[in-house]
Amino acid sequence: MNNSVDKNKNQIDLPVVKSESKPSHWRSLDEYNNTSTDNQLKVKANEFAEGAENFDIGSKSKVSRRKFMALMSASSAMVMAACTDYRDKGEIVPYAVKPEEVIPGIANFYASTLTSDGSGQGILVKAREGRPILIEGNPQHPISKGKLDANGIARILDMYDPGRLQRPRKIQGSKLVDSDWKVIDKEIIQSLNSASSSGKEIAIFTGKIVSPTYAKLIEDFKVKYPTTKVYSYELFNDNNKQIAWKKSTGGNNYPLIDLDKAAVILSIDSDFLGTDGNVNENIRQFTTNRDFENPTSYSRFYQVEGSYTLTGSNSDYRLRLTPENYLDVVASLVNHFASKQGKPTMSGFKSLESLAKENKWKHEAASKLLSDLESNRGKAIVIGGKQLPVDLHVAINYLNDLIGASELYRKSESNFNAVSLSSDDEIATLANNVKSGNVGVLINIDINPTYHLPYHFTADNLKKVKTVVSLSEFENETSNNSNYVLGINHDIESWGDAKIRTGVISTQQPVIAPLYDTRQREAILLNWMNGGENYSEDIYHKYLQSNWETNIYPSLNRSVPFKEFWFATLHDGVTTFNETSIVSTEVNSSSVSGIKPTNKSNYSVILQENYFIRDGRYAGNGFLQESAHPITKITWDNCAMISPATAKELNVEIGDMIEVALNGKAIDLPVLIQPGMAEKVIAVDLGYGRTNSGAIGNGVGFDVTPFMTSKGLSKWIYTGATVKPTGNKYELVATQEHHALDDEFLITEVRKNAEGEVTGGGETFARARSIIQETTVANYIKNPKILKEHEHDVFSITKDFEYNNMKWAMSIDMNKCIGCNACSIACYVENNIPVVGKEEVGVGREMGWIRIDRYFEGSPEDPIMSNQPMLCQHCDNAPCENVCPVVATTHSKDGLNQMVYNRCVGTRYCGNNCPYKVRRFNFFDFRDNLANGHYKTESTKIMMNPEVTIRARGVMEKCTFCVQRISQARQNAKEDGRTLKGSDVTTACQDACPANAIEFGNANDKDSRVAMMREHNLGYHVLDYLNVKPNVTYLAKLRNSDSLGVKSEHH
Amino acid sequence: MKKSVLDYGLRVRLPITIMVILISYAITFYVSRSERDGVGYKPDQPINFSHKLHAGEMAIDCQYCHVGVEKSRHAVVPQASTCMNCHTMARTDKPEIKKLTKYYESGEAIPWKRVHQVPEYAYFNHSAHINADIECASCHGDVASMDKIEQVHAFNMANCLSCHRAPHEKMPYLADKVKKGPEDCSSCHR
Repeated sequence: MNNSVDKNKNQIDLPVVKSESKPSHWRSLDEYNNTSTDNQLKVKANEFAEGAENFDIGSKSKVSRRKFMALMSASSAMVMAACTDYRDKGEIVPYAVKPEEVIPGIANFYASTLTSDGSGQGILVKAREGRPILIEGNPQHPISKGKLDANGIARILDMYDPGRLQRPRKIQGSKLVDSDWKVIDKEIIQSLNSASSSGKEIAIFTGKIVSPTYAKLIEDFKVKYPTTKVYSYELFNDNNKQIAWKKSTGGNNYPLIDLDKAAVILSIDSDFLGTDGNVNENIRQFTTNRDFENPTSYSRFYQVEGSYTLTGSNSDYRLRLTPENYLDVVASLVNHFASKQGKPTMSGFKSLESLAKENKWKHEAASKLLSDLESNRGKAIVIGGKQLPVDLHVAINYLNDLIGASELYRKSESNFNAVSLSSDDEIATLANNVKSGNVGVLINIDINPTYHLPYHFTADNLKKVKTVVSLSEFENETSNNSNYVLGINHDIESWGDAKIRTGVISTQQPVIAPLYDTRQREAILLNWMNGGENYSEDIYHKYLQSNWETNIYPSLNRSVPFKEFWFATLHDGVTTFNETSIVSTEVNSSSVSGIKPTNKSNYSVILQENYFIRDGRYAGNGFLQESAHPITKITWDNCAMISPATAKELNVEIGDMIEVALNGKAIDLPVLIQPGMAEKVIAVDLGYGRTNSGAIGNGVGFDVTPFMTSKGLSKWIYTGATVKPTGNKYELVATQEHHALDDEFLITEVRKNAEGEVTGGGETFARARSIIQETTVANYIKNPKILKEHEHDVFSITKDFEYNNMKWAMSIDMNKCIGCNACSIACYVENNIPVVGKEEVGVGREMGWIRIDRYFEGSPEDPIMSNQPMLCQHCDNAPCENVCPVVATTHSKDGLNQMVYNRCVGTRYCGNNCPYKVRRFNFFDFRDNLANGHYKTESTKIMMNPEVTIRARGVMEKCTFCVQRISQARQNAKEDGRTLKGSDVTTACQDACPANAIEFGNANDKDSRVAMMREHNLGYHVLDYLNVKPNVTYLAKLRNSDSLGVKSEHH
Repeated sequence: MKKSVLDYGLRVRLPITIMVILISYAITFYVSRSERDGVGYKPDQPINFSHKLHAGEMAIDCQYCHVGVEKSRHAVVPQASTCMNCHTMARTDKPEIKKLTKYYESGEAIPWKRVHQVPEYAYFNHSAHINADIECASCHGDVASMDKIEQVHAFNMANCLSCHRAPHEKMPYLADKVKKGPEDCSSCHR
């Protein structure tokens, strides 16, 4: 167990380890190669690993002698004061006037919408005694259907973040100082008037706008100030896709796709399960056809990509390819189909066969792709990533036309843009106007131009604008170059509406009054328009309501009066109506003429969107920073992902710094060797390296936005980079080997026949221990019991406890789990889990109760990936319970493994004995510990879920199956006079899962989903041979390919 | 042999001293038990409210003021406006009512002293108990006879479990309505 013990000693009694055989499943290259580099990603960290127990108290507490004296005298004074009555229990302060809908102890839910991130997702905000404590998806919203992505869930933390802008600030000298709205309003209105009268431009520079009323407000603003121009920018956008669609069909809006009707999906580097398009909807639709109960219609998914994306990890065939060759794949397919149909072809491109050979794809992949596309006419679709160049999208549109994919285009609805994003040219125009001093007032709303467009909006350039106003929730890089920095409301402090689709419009309502002296962005503009004299908190509320009454409501043809309609819509958070959407699908075949192949030169660089901190806007959010990247498992950093072969070529290892140079711009980045990357491709996440994003986000990772100055295939894909190692080292922290189920991957003896040929064996315990079980769809259809074949009963020497009434159990469908991490973030929020920070993650102290374990299978060149959400298994024979010397963890009659914090003395015996390594120990008061107590302030205190204990330092904790929700459901059942059903309870992770992979309920109720899953042929328990009888059932993943991972060529 | 002073000290004096200390510790420990558990705690309240008058003589139902107790974990202390339902008219000349009116009119909450408290690591649920027809008095004592509210029972785990294990002994009025209270840790601790 202990790593400090010599490895060889550990293995004495264990099966023979043959150095030439490789494990079938592995978590890291070290594990694969049976090497120990010890260092680089802080491997094998768990709470017992070397160093886990060490801590340097000096570095933790920055208390000086003087402060210590002050604290001591203060505390002794308090003790003296407390001597008055030791039985004093404080006060109970009732409401002076109780709000009608509030009953202390009962949560209220309010429907609203996220608008500031441009996602327009429908949300439900759970509030206790008026305090929002959890954001979930709105089940009535036709697009979100009750789900919310990880960022949306984590947004709650932003609202309570003590680093928020708490009052308006203005520049004085070179420093920002707190000011007053009245003063600032007056000054800005003056600037607006003078800019307007002198004919200078007033530029409103904003992120994506999803609100029709906000869009109208801006139009009104233009009327008041006619020199106003609006620019809308997002670092990651689908402009290329839009332009290409216009080129191909003449239509303005590319169509939405019915992924749930697709039998074959070919994605050209589209991360549609992670960052591309409406991810929640994509996941839901994609997983609809990954249904093990319906294996004959299991979809087949091909992913062509150079980097390794979340979407790629869920593919049946992952075709590694450098981005320059994407076009070759599309063109060769186009040629195949076009020549058959007598339509124009594309010349000068490589053939699919040669690409397959060059890139060592699975031998059947290319031919299978062709035949699949051919035989599934009308049910096959090609999806291009939004970051791809226009030409490639044009070719993809043409290919889709050739394979009859227009059948899958949604006819009934299409995307709706309240305000279209500006083109790159328009942004360049703005930049020029700023530079030339033509802009009188620049109003940045929810946007960070200095960081996102560093080549356009430098400090010097912005100085040429007389008045720069920045509206944002947090200070950012642009704040430093602004004359005024105005704090704006959080989404759940704001009014608004959103329309992202035709036929659906949702409303946004505040759930809490602004915590600080901030205003919502629309109200600030409206106030300036109104002359700034009579601001009241409800000005935008009134504006919104009147816009709905005069403009939106009449067009909906409702029979109810407006007031009733308005309150009903606010209650539901969304309203739907009939609206025709025009989708042009006629593809002009000549659009592909003139598209030339791209040549590869040197290294390619892919700048990708991070799954959690996105374009950097969430850099200050601890939940999101701490979430391990689904592929690399890196936390609190970005890195240069390169393939093992490329690393060898460069002679670098994990954590070595390399200098990536692109058109004269050179940036040093730490290397992460990522199995499965295409050769000579460097993939880096954007959004890191923020310099002014608060105590949490400052200095995390490396900023690669400067690369975006140069000319690439698109803004996110570049070719011709040069790379050289710098010789420096950097410490990356990854959780890939944390809390490993096996400390050593043991390999069974290799069996050989008399001739010395290998006949079998060599399996590792990873498979023998049934951590990951998978099979192919074909094999499963042939023999549904395929995974049960090697099953044997484990003999038990103790009598089983009988669960006569309820027995709580969970099942997780690995066919549906795509590894998005929404469950984990929801668990953080629901269960008051602290953020620990990079340093602590480095020693394996991350506190998440549900983690996503990632395993690779096959060779490091081209492995397949498996995810496994791992949480407390609530074993019937829980090994943790037997060893607790103080009976702090016990078993309940309904099958829960309970944890009593006030009894725990922190021996950590339970954690040691847990085979799943799901117990977490509070080495510190992490909230106090992180960034000088950033998350231990008055504001973050009120974010805590009052139904869950905040664990003290020195106690063990773990997943409780959301026992607080079980208690609440039991209470509700009792009040209603009915018996509790398993389906009355949903856990936080289950609610969050966009694919509905998690089922929870009563295993004794034979009709329940969860009981069915437990009995299913694909259902298995991890480490079942230990006979601990876990209550989390995993449904084995089916892969719609001919074989599972490709074995390494080494043997 | 003559005993030395040291010998006397070690063989007689010391054991006696230790004995006395131990015995007095033990006595104090047991005698002060209920005191330490808060039994008899009877703080002065900001308004001299009498449960004896309201709940006793006038027989106002507990839930008239302590609303939501059948729905929620908490039995709330009433908001001032609840008091004012009657006291806009009743006894407005009395000094305590004047105090109340002042709180009400200023919109300030009344800082009642807390009398009963379950430790914060236990999640007691009023609604579960009220819906099982357990009387308030079973835990809070005969409030209707108290001029000034005080704690009667210890609010500790032993006391909880004594009822959960043998409800019929402790609360004979329950008859067949309740079998047994749950004893799983997670019923209270989470």
